[in-house]
Parts: sequence; structure tokens; C-alpha cells
Amino acid sequence: MTMDLKAMKLKAATGLKRTTSHISLLALGITFELTSRYVPEMQQEIADWEEGRRVTIGVLPNGPYMTIQKNGDRIDYLGIGKHEPHLSILFKNLDSAVMIFTGMLGAPAAVAENRVCIHGDNAKAMEVTRAMAIVQTYLFPGLILNKTFKRPPKLTSSQLATKAKIMGLLTPMLVAKGMK
Amino acid sequence: MLPKYYEFSCPVKILSGRKAVANLPHELSQLGASKPLVITDKGVVAAKLMGPVEAAFADAEMSIGYLFEDTPVDSSNHVVNQVAKLYRDKGCDALVAVGGGSVLDTAKGVNIVLSEQTDDLLKFQGVDRITATMQPFIAIPTTAGTGSEVTAAAVIKNVDLGAKMAMVSTRLYPHVAIVDPAMMITMPPRITAATGMDALTHACEAYYGLQKNPVSDAFAAAAIKLIHQYLAEAVEHGDHEDARVGMANAALLAGIAFSNSMVGMVHALAHSAGATAHVPHGVANAILLPYGMEYNVAKVPDSLAEIAGMLGVTPQLDKTEMARKGVEAVRSLTATLNALCGLPLKLSDAGVKAEQLESIAKLSINDGSLTYNPEEMDYQEALAVLKQAF
Repeated sequence: MTMDLKAMKLKAATGLKRTTSHISLLALGITFELTSRYVPEMQQEIADWEEGRRVTIGVLPNGPYMTIQKNGDRIDYLGIGKHEPHLSILFKNLDSAVMIFTGMLGAPAAVAENRVCIHGDNAKAMEVTRAMAIVQTYLFPGLILNKTFKRPPKLTSSQLATKAKIMGLLTPMLVAKGMK
Repeated sequence: MLPKYYEFSCPVKILSGRKAVANLPHELSQLGASKPLVITDKGVVAAKLMGPVEAAFADAEMSIGYLFEDTPVDSSNHVVNQVAKLYRDKGCDALVAVGGGSVLDTAKGVNIVLSEQTDDLLKFQGVDRITATMQPFIAIPTTAGTGSEVTAAAVIKNVDLGAKMAMVSTRLYPHVAIVDPAMMITMPPRITAATGMDALTHACEAYYGLQKNPVSDAFAAAAIKLIHQYLAEAVEHGDHEDARVGMANAALLAGIAFSNSMVGMVHALAHSAGATAHVPHGVANAILLPYGMEYNVAKVPDSLAEIAGMLGVTPQLDKTEMARKGVEAVRSLTATLNALCGLPLKLSDAGVKAEQLESIAKLSINDGSLTYNPEEMDYQEALAVLKQAF
């Protein structure tokens, strides 16, 4: 009975971590899409990406994963799962992923702690990492940014307005795309 | 301050010192091998450095299976596949690399091709993608700088794509590193200086970078002290055996340190200066190291102050002041090397043109090393550092 309870607790904890990762990846993917539409620095960052570049971000070994793609002058969120990526940024386990998704750990610290694997071209991974920093800037509250960025961003009033707009669009899109 | 989490790995058996190469056949037998393919380059052969290696087999119960001496300066996927084919055709059972970074990287690439039974290295680009059990591999460095004999990375040019592929995996560590002063005694002063400054840059960036940890710190600190003690001596008196052994060990220790703690903005800029203006890697590091340290002073004054102490700076009460004295100590060392062998002090002296600085800056912000630099650096900031170093 005790063992059953222990196994159930473990399963529930793993399920919670997987759900957190799933929702976070969904939010990340949608925010990639939104920032590419509304944030000039994101548009500038992805301008040099080759057309059709697909990037998967996910958790080893069993997922979840999500994939984005450069189409024209914007990023499209292709959905949960791997979609034949050219480049993958993979967290080694669910615990590492949750630490990063919940703002307990920043991207530079995650890399420094060997919690991330890159499959593919390192230079392109750097480009994606910079783009991801922009996504995080518009997704996370200032408190988390101050804790996780090497140099926390200082947003202008216009950027703060854009952040509010993105946050406003994110929730209905999360519901709509999460239902699919 | 201890990191909240860190990893460290170095499974390489190290043989260091006089007549170390004589142990090569014994080490091969310990790995269950008896017919090694030896990879080297024309420069090593011309410098007669294959002599000690061939002599080691004179009284051994094994012989060299094949000697490949055509490794180019920039190793390529075609060369790697060619050597792997020779290994199979000749029935070899171990790899021995005798040379500098390119030779050692070629051997690592060959080992991936052989062990993963592939001819496409591109599939292994990135981190932790190699899972096969590797072929026995012994590295014998002929320069004291890259530390490739104890690192888990290989960079191979993909000539079909015109791009460099970086592969990182603990599977890439050689089984044995043989560090013998006889293999370095003929190294010219300027190459000794440049490779030595490469090692110093590895050690310093490992010591103050984001991935630093107490184990890699110990290796980096030992390397910095040895370089402070021996680099100028090895440049001035190349036949000074203690200086050669000291520098060889410094490069090895720095290699272990940076293989675990990585490097930073100095390497990002140096890689890009190499790719854009063909500045030799060690020369670029020598020029850029003081500027890189200076750039990070405000972020990591404690670590930089400790480095200053290792470089012989008298202790100061103020950590930032001490860190700045450390930068001056590096500048003083490069000035000494400049006087001894003409090691360039500015990018303009190393063949960089002013109009290339923007390209170098643009390339450098996509270099993975930047991730581990304590201070953020964007394109404009990279350009500003390059202009200072120009």
C-alpha cells in the first residue's frame, strides 16, 4: 500500500512537471509568433534567419517538444511535437525544464549548469537563444528577468505597452491553440 | 562562491615528461591494440618529430599500421572520411594523433566516423550526440596551447557546406595523452608564444567564466601559475626542457579547465578574427585577452583579482584595483613576448583591416563561447572592444 502511494505520488509529480513544461512550451511558441509580429528587435533578430528554419525546443527523453518555423518576416508556431527540426534545443530532463520555464533559472545559467543539449549548428543556436531572450522579456515579469538575465532589460514605455498587448493576446491564443 | 550545480569530467590518462613517448606501445597494448594508424601532418614530419614515435616501436611487439601525414591546416570531413577508410582497409585497431589542434581534431573526427559507423559527421554536430564505444585513441601534442589532448570537443570543416562543424561529447576524450618535451623542443619562438597565450586565455576565461567550478578552478589556477613561470623562458630558450615541460603541462591543465568551464568573449572574438582575417588563434587570443579581462572587471572583480595574484601582482586592498593590475600583468607579458619574438600586440599588426572589424563583431555574437562570458556583449559592444584592440 505504501509503495503504491509512493508510486502514485511520483507519477503525479512527473505528470505535473510534464504539464508545466507543456503549457510553458505552448506559451513560448505563441510568444515567439507574437513577438515576431509586434516587436521590432525580434523582427531585426530573425531577419537573417534562412527561410524555413525549424527549431524544436523540448525536454529529453520523452518530451514534450514544440517547434517554430521562420516564414517570411515572421515566426510561426507549428505546434507541440518535433516537426523535422534543423536545430533542437533540448533540456536534459523535466526538472531542468521546469526550473527554466518557471524562471528559477536563466538561460545562461542553464547552459553553464550543462542542463541543455544543442543538436545542430551552434551559431544558429546562438541566434535562437537571443531571440528566446526577447521572448522571455515579453513573457516574464520584471522580477524574474532581473534574476535570470546577465543584463536585465529596461523596457521603454512603448515596449511596456507592447508587452501588455502581447500578454493580452497570449491568454486567448493559449486557450485556442491548447485545445487543438 | 560555489556554483549551485556543476559537472566535471576528465577520463584521460596523462603521461608527462622525458621519454614519455617511449611508453606509446605499452599504452596501446593496455588498450588492447597492436596496429595503430598514426595521424600527423607535413610540418611534424619536416620537424623530424616522428623520430621519437617511430623509435618507440623499435623494440615493441607491434608496429605502426599506417602513417597518414597529409592532415591539412583546417581539418575537413573529406580528410576524416579518407583516414577512416585507410583505417578499415589497413586493418588498424587504434588511433594515434601526433601534432597540433588540427591533427588531434582530425583524429577525433575519424574516431566518430569509425565508432558510429557513419560517413556523415553532420549528424553528430552539437552536444552529446555520440553514443558509440570509441576506438582506442592516444594523443601526442606537438604544441603547448590548444589542450586538445584533454578536451571533449572537435571542430571539423564541412567543405560541402563551407561551414565548420563543432562536436562536443565526453566520448571524444582521448584515452591517453602523452606530453613529451622532445615533441615540442623545435617549436619556433613565435609559435611557442602564441600557443602559450592561447593556453593562458583558456585558463583565464575558464577561471572567471560563468561555468567555473572548484575543480576546474584548481586546474586553471595551476595552469596560470605555470605560464607565469615558464612562458617567456620557453620562448627565449626553446631548448630549456623544464620550461617546455612546464608549458606543456600548463596547456594540458588549461585544456582540462576549459573543457569543463568553457571560454568566453575573448575566444568568441578570436574565432571570428580567425575566420574573417585569418589571424592565428593564439595570436588573436594574445591580443584580445587583456581587453576581454578589462571588459569583465566590473562583473567578476574577485575572480580577476585572484588571477592577478597568480600572475605575480602584489595584493591590493581593493579587488577591482587588483583585477585591473592583473590586466596590466597580461599586457606586460605580451609586451615581453613582443620584444622576444615579435608577437603582435594589436589586431592591425596581425593583418586585420579596419573594414573587417564589423564582420568580426557580427560573427562573434553568434559564437557559442559568448554564452559563458560573465558580462553580456552585443554587436556594438563587440565592435567597440575590437576597435580598442585594433
